[in-house]
Amino acid sequence: MLKKSSRRIFLKKSASALAGTFVIPNLVPASSLGLGGKIPASDRIVMGVIGTGSQGTGDMKGFIRLKDQVRFVALCDVDAKRLEAAKSIVDKANKSTDCRTYKDFREFMDRETLDAVIIALPDHWHGIIYTEAAKKKWDVYGEKPICRTINDGKVIVKAVKENGIIWQTGSWQRSQANFHRGAELVINGRIGKVKYIEVGLPDGVRGIGTPPVKDVPEELDWDMWLGPALKVPYRGVCHWNWRWILDYSGGQLTDWAGHHVDIANWGTGLEYTGPVEIEGTGVYPVEGIYNAPVEYDITCKYANGIIMRVANASRLPKGMGTAWYGDLGWIHVDRGNKISASDPKILDEKIGDNEIHLYKSTDHSQNFIDCVRSRKEAIAPIEPAYRAISVALLGEISMTTGQKIQWDPEKEEIIGNPVASRLLSRPYRKPWTLPTL
Amino acid sequence: MKRINYIFLILSVLLMIFSACNKSVQYRALIVTGQNITNWQASTPVLKKILEQTGLFRCDVAVSPEKGKDMSGFKPDFEKYNLIVLNYSGDAWSEEVKNNFSSYVSNGGGVLVYHSASQSFPEWKEYNEICGLGGWGGRSEKEGPYVYYRGNQMVFDSTEGVAGWYGLPGEFEVRIRNMEHPVTKGLPVRWMHGSDLLYARLRGPAKNMEVIATAYCDTTGGGTGRHEPVLMTVNYGKGRVFHTTLGFPADGNSPAIQCVGFITTLQRGAEWAASGKVTQPVPLDFPSISGISLRPELKALTLREDIENLAKYEIGKSTKYYTDLQNRIRKASGDKEKLLEIEKLLTRILKDKSATVESKKLVLRELGWMGSDYSVPAIKKLKGIPELEDEVNFALERLGVK
Repeated sequence: MLKKSSRRIFLKKSASALAGTFVIPNLVPASSLGLGGKIPASDRIVMGVIGTGSQGTGDMKGFIRLKDQVRFVALCDVDAKRLEAAKSIVDKANKSTDCRTYKDFREFMDRETLDAVIIALPDHWHGIIYTEAAKKKWDVYGEKPICRTINDGKVIVKAVKENGIIWQTGSWQRSQANFHRGAELVINGRIGKVKYIEVGLPDGVRGIGTPPVKDVPEELDWDMWLGPALKVPYRGVCHWNWRWILDYSGGQLTDWAGHHVDIANWGTGLEYTGPVEIEGTGVYPVEGIYNAPVEYDITCKYANGIIMRVANASRLPKGMGTAWYGDLGWIHVDRGNKISASDPKILDEKIGDNEIHLYKSTDHSQNFIDCVRSRKEAIAPIEPAYRAISVALLGEISMTTGQKIQWDPEKEEIIGNPVASRLLSRPYRKPWTLPTL
Repeated sequence: MKRINYIFLILSVLLMIFSACNKSVQYRALIVTGQNITNWQASTPVLKKILEQTGLFRCDVAVSPEKGKDMSGFKPDFEKYNLIVLNYSGDAWSEEVKNNFSSYVSNGGGVLVYHSASQSFPEWKEYNEICGLGGWGGRSEKEGPYVYYRGNQMVFDSTEGVAGWYGLPGEFEVRIRNMEHPVTKGLPVRWMHGSDLLYARLRGPAKNMEVIATAYCDTTGGGTGRHEPVLMTVNYGKGRVFHTTLGFPADGNSPAIQCVGFITTLQRGAEWAASGKVTQPVPLDFPSISGISLRPELKALTLREDIENLAKYEIGKSTKYYTDLQNRIRKASGDKEKLLEIEKLLTRILKDKSATVESKKLVLRELGWMGSDYSVPAIKKLKGIPELEDEVNFALERLGVK
């Protein structure tokens, strides 16, 4: 498993050494293996960021917050302005201006020696860059959804596993008390046997019509931003709003499945499998550049009989979040520390020593750093992230074709539908190819 | 003996054909109009066209005397019809006609209350009950509470005050409140409506009434900040009433009545009021939260129109023909013959020298997943055209062609 550099092994050793010697309780996060106090510069996790937009910068700040545990040394983005803005944040934290910047991730990867990297890119870039980072044996904090197609996902999962890297998906809800509590109550049978799950994700957004072609801003490398996606002229839609366009995202459905579907799976032990039957309908914009479905209603059947419905929140009685329905009651969790149950007493239940205790983390970034040091699995590993987004991607295929999809979650293949199977992958525009392992 | 069998067979076939023809028009509707604060001369032919387009209705029109003229001779024969469409707000009907109308409804007749019709007859108790809610004409707390939605709750608000308000026309979002009602089943839960006057502060007896859709009335310009009812159903005796506040007609060509959301809910509401069920599918061009969808000619696009317009596609132009086509492909859902028919038409665009490069790019994306051996030669022929190189590679790779 450990194929890391000697530096990483050194980190691991020093972590256990530190644990035995310095313990300063007030400064030690509970989850940080007893690490704390002043960390020698040589022991800091050396990190970089690929994709310094709003999400990547937010993730980066989450680690800077952990003070001396990490040091950012290199940043990469196709937008010079965003790169510059991120560098100024890092420079301030580092009290130095030596953080390096790159516009091309290939150069970034060739030149840098990192322990870990944050990758926060539009979905269509995930296949190539997650895989290449894993091949570099950098530990990755990667944004959900982890892939744009099932095939991209398969390659990424394989790369992460084969290279023995620590992977943390940015599905931070796992590190929140209410989601953990809900999932743990459900998996320990506090609502009986789960029959049905309802997952509410956001409704789509208002369109912007059909904007004309515009000049590409000077700071942006548009061709590189498009990368493996088909070449289209710049029309003023790029950062953030790429998620409403099917070339780069599947809309709110794929943007959010990595959160609430992931939690649904966590509470029912479906993290390492997928549905066997998927049927969905979508509402697509009639007009405009945004073409991702703005409403969606997908019903999945699992081999153990559980039915999971994934739909935009306005279609569901409980709206946003994950609701598990068992034969003894229901539990619903959502952001804003929300947790409710058919009977409030369920929420007071204790989980006994001999019952299932789900992985506990109270800080998503800290958990990643701890695992980079300990070489233990992080709270949001790669395969559950892949299984969560698969539900949405298979739903998308069902909506595109108008057909019910039969899925083999073991072989990860669509059964008996060669036309729908074509949608499991997407050809890459030259010169880009999905790395082979 | 054999001959008798033949005659029997021919008769049966004729009977089947006859009943099939007859089956298409199932309901007779009467549009009652002649006076209205909106332009009834413009809206009446539109309503007729919209309803008859379904193939379910044949519409007659009853035109009242002009305002202020003798109404005693105005006696529509409601009983002959499955549906009465109210496009009227004006002088009182005779007592006899009023009684005929309310007994027509209570005995099981269907009614469609259209837009400004809810302003009519404030003094007529039964009429207010049939409409559920109304406005203007001196209506106030006497007629019943204000009815609206707050969050997911319907509110009956007995505060004193006049009924009826609208601001400047504009597009607004319609929110379905009962997704299981026959009229709304299968529609997007949120959709944008073409620029219209949004009726607010309606009040009335609201007896046996269900609000099946609302729209938020913005506070800018003095609006209520409430989710106001826009589609309602009322059960009056054995009769069914569908009430839409939507569809300010202007001169008959307003975005409000060209809106596919208005057209569809009117058609479905009419069928429900006439029969208690809805057999019409949701059209492909129904709007969504993304934006409005209009039909300037009031009718849906045909496959032929989709293809003809797609072939002219340029960036920045309307994408509605392409999305209509994509919805057709979804709807064909594994129907090989239908999909082949579409594939042939798409392939024709690839071969068409006058079709734009941008249209061919879209076609190649589509054929890349739904195409068959039929389109492969035409795709291959485009190899070597630099502007199409990426899309040709994309399609061939996805189709598994070396």
